Amino acid sequence: MEIAFWILSAITVIGAILAITMRNLVHCVLSLILFFLGIAGHYLLLRADFLFAVQVLIYIGAVAVLILFAIMLTRHVTGTEGPREVLGGKWWAGMGTAVIIAGLLWAIIRKDPLAAMLPAGMASTSVTEIGRALVADWLVPFEAMGVLLTAALIGAVVIALEEVIRKR
Amino acid sequence: MDQVYKVAPQLLKFLSYLLGWLPWIGKPVAGFLSNPPAWFLLAVAIAIPILFVVSVFPGIFAYTTLVERKALGRIQNRIGPNRVGRWGLLQPIADGVKLLTKEDIVPRSADKFVHFLAPVIAVIPSVLLFSVVPVGAGLVPVDLNIGILFAFAISTASVLALFMGGWASRNKFSLLGAMRAVAQVVSYEVPMVLAAVAVVMAAGSLSTLAIAKAQGGGILNVTHWFVFRPWGFVGFILFTIGAMAESARTPFDIPEAESEIIAGYHTEYSGFKFALFQLGEYLASIAMAGITVTMFLGGYNGPGSGPGILGGLISMFWFFAKLGGMIVLTIWIRGTWPRVRVDQLMSFAWKVLLPMSIVNIVAVGMWHYIAIRPIAWVVTTLWLVLWFITLSKLAASENIEKREYRYAS
Amino acid sequence: MGFIGKGLFEGMVVTARNFVGSYFDKERLVTVQYPEERVQVPENSRTFPFLVFDKDSDPVASMRCVACKICEVECPPQCIYIVMDRDEKGKPQQRPKVFDIDISVCMQCQICVEVCPFDAIKMDNNYEKSQYGRFDELVEHLPELLKSNEFYNKIKPTEATAVDAKLKADAEKKAKKAAPAAKPAATAAKPAAPAAPKPAPVAAPTAKIAIPDDAPFTPEQRQWLSGYLSTVAASGVAPAAAAPVAGTPAAPATEAPAGNWPWHDPGLGMQRRLDLAKETPIADKLMAAMAQTDCHACGYDCRGYADAIATGAETDLSLCLPGEAETANMLKKLMQEAGKL
Repeated sequence: MEIAFWILSAITVIGAILAITMRNLVHCVLSLILFFLGIAGHYLLLRADFLFAVQVLIYIGAVAVLILFAIMLTRHVTGTEGPREVLGGKWWAGMGTAVIIAGLLWAIIRKDPLAAMLPAGMASTSVTEIGRALVADWLVPFEAMGVLLTAALIGAVVIALEEVIRKR
Repeated sequence: MDQVYKVAPQLLKFLSYLLGWLPWIGKPVAGFLSNPPAWFLLAVAIAIPILFVVSVFPGIFAYTTLVERKALGRIQNRIGPNRVGRWGLLQPIADGVKLLTKEDIVPRSADKFVHFLAPVIAVIPSVLLFSVVPVGAGLVPVDLNIGILFAFAISTASVLALFMGGWASRNKFSLLGAMRAVAQVVSYEVPMVLAAVAVVMAAGSLSTLAIAKAQGGGILNVTHWFVFRPWGFVGFILFTIGAMAESARTPFDIPEAESEIIAGYHTEYSGFKFALFQLGEYLASIAMAGITVTMFLGGYNGPGSGPGILGGLISMFWFFAKLGGMIVLTIWIRGTWPRVRVDQLMSFAWKVLLPMSIVNIVAVGMWHYIAIRPIAWVVTTLWLVLWFITLSKLAASENIEKREYRYAS
Repeated sequence: MGFIGKGLFEGMVVTARNFVGSYFDKERLVTVQYPEERVQVPENSRTFPFLVFDKDSDPVASMRCVACKICEVECPPQCIYIVMDRDEKGKPQQRPKVFDIDISVCMQCQICVEVCPFDAIKMDNNYEKSQYGRFDELVEHLPELLKSNEFYNKIKPTEATAVDAKLKADAEKKAKKAAPAAKPAATAAKPAAPAAPKPAPVAAPTAKIAIPDDAPFTPEQRQWLSGYLSTVAASGVAPAAAAPVAGTPAAPATEAPAGNWPWHDPGLGMQRRLDLAKETPIADKLMAAMAQTDCHACGYDCRGYADAIATGAETDLSLCLPGEAETANMLKKLMQEAGKL
């Protein structure tokens, strides 16, 4: 378990670093997929196999593929010219954000350990438990989320349609 | 795997009995095998299903290509391969040797690393798919409680290989093929998963083994197959269409449409890399056929199947017989139907398959809540038929007009 | 009754019927298993040319080809190469020593067959000509090209029968012509006999005048050059006309001096050649009437034959085989116009 954790962590970190430093956009996305896979492996290690499947299905199967599709429609995929700037002149902003998030996470984990938050019955993350939780205990937030996403989807369609009409 | 774990010590004992005759190493090896340490037992229990999957299914793939060529030949009133061995039985070996000895060509301006990686990635998800396909009563490499979801998650990853191969080749046709493949797989994933949801609702589990088990019983272990339910029949058709589109089989082979874009994403591949692409594609197709069998055609259930060694062997026979039937069906369809157009493909997925699969989910709900079976039969059948007629009318209302032929009769 | 997707299932039924039917109905399987079975090729099919000979006992001696090179000249992709056979003295033998056809170049157009006046080259229908090499292996030489007339009759009965009939008729006509000709030849043996030595004294002094032995010419070139110069001298043309010919000995040394005789081109038609030779002496006009292949079927090249007729050394006007009746008639006409006949 220990070894698996370290290997997966290494894959995740390397994937993340490559995703922001590679010069070729497609290579970036492929590294991002590596990173997603590492995260999925971590879920598996935590015995959250439903989350693992969802991670692979949605992040690799849908999100990454959508990004790839968008890249395929663009022209300049490789950025070999020009100076190499990852953060540009605003590196301090990135650093600041990283420090704040790290501090926040540390504070949260320290104050409210996740184990204490979980009800006794939730130790298993089987599909049945997740399903019960979603449509019984957390029904209202779940439905609200659904409505929100649907609204966002329709909004995106409307915006795209308007553009098409204007072009005509 | 659990079952293998139980059988493994006996297997090892048998092996030690066999190897005990060997001079020099015979005695110590036999002693080690007859009383193995726990880690070794675990390793053997893990290795056996893996060996089964990587030996049996590629073998099926090899002979599927032969059967396909023979059957397509007969469909077109030809003979098909009959030169290598009797009835061409050694043809797959000849093909393999030919592909292995071919020159491996990489285009000069290709993205070499991604170009190399793509065929490898094409095979991995296809092999992983078999880990949740039960080949007999209780015989599944890994009994995941999210089996079906795992299968879908893995099968979407296969589209990455198509994209990588198409993009890295630096070839217009490859890129076109990759774009078509991505668009097609993403669109057909949705109705396919929704068709599977109906089965998951009826079986009450995501585990493939549990779904197969739920179809046992009835007369001769046959009548409870999901395909003999109104919603199951519709789901079977929807899922088969989706699976064929997902694995890019004719009539949905537009990502590699030979007459339009040469070979699509694997235009620039030759030799062993091409063979890997073919292997991945066929394995995915066979695995999808296996999942279709598990979800709709009763899985390993059939007359005589059940627990125990004899029942297990019979159940394996039934599974592979049904798998062969599905493979033959796909070949038959490939030999008959023309390729769909890209726009037809998309409108068919979004205007017919998707609404129909949602309607099918409602039908399963009705089936579940109407306790009296005859009424449930009538109601769900009516519901599905009415929707089918409505949707086909809606989809067909535009674009189809009677064509006037001026010169041809 | 129609429903959505009906056509799809009808198609499935059709393919299923094909599948099952092909196992029971031999009529359905149209495949010919090639190395074991072969399709009977149609009689008029053709692949590559071959050379016909008449007697099995001696193919080389009985071959119809006289190495006239018409086919070599006419061949559009120029895949034929012919060298005429000669004996030790350099006398043409009226048969090829080398006859090569590069079948990787041959486009199977049959033009060589159509232009051949001797029915010596015909089209084969053997399509199995593959070889293990791309170069020399694909060049067919004389021994491979020679096929008997029986073989020709076997592969193309209709065509071969017609050809045989025509050849037989020609031979009979010749024999008939030769029979009356033999009588005057026998009776007029006296005028014929002195006619032969008559050009000899003409040739002898001119030969003495013309070519020194150390001039860069082959024997036959020397022969015709001397003949030519003698004709020029004899026909009373100013030596100035002969001078440039003599002054450029290098030109005829390599090939037939086409530059001096614009009509010396087998690709031109008879009328065009005569037009080109309009303002020239009779010997040139006569030459222009020849087939221009330098085939030596007559025993000379085109130049030599024309000179021989013009000087009266040769009296037979029907020796030009490639030119056929057209040339013979034209020679007769020209001689009549010149008042020599």
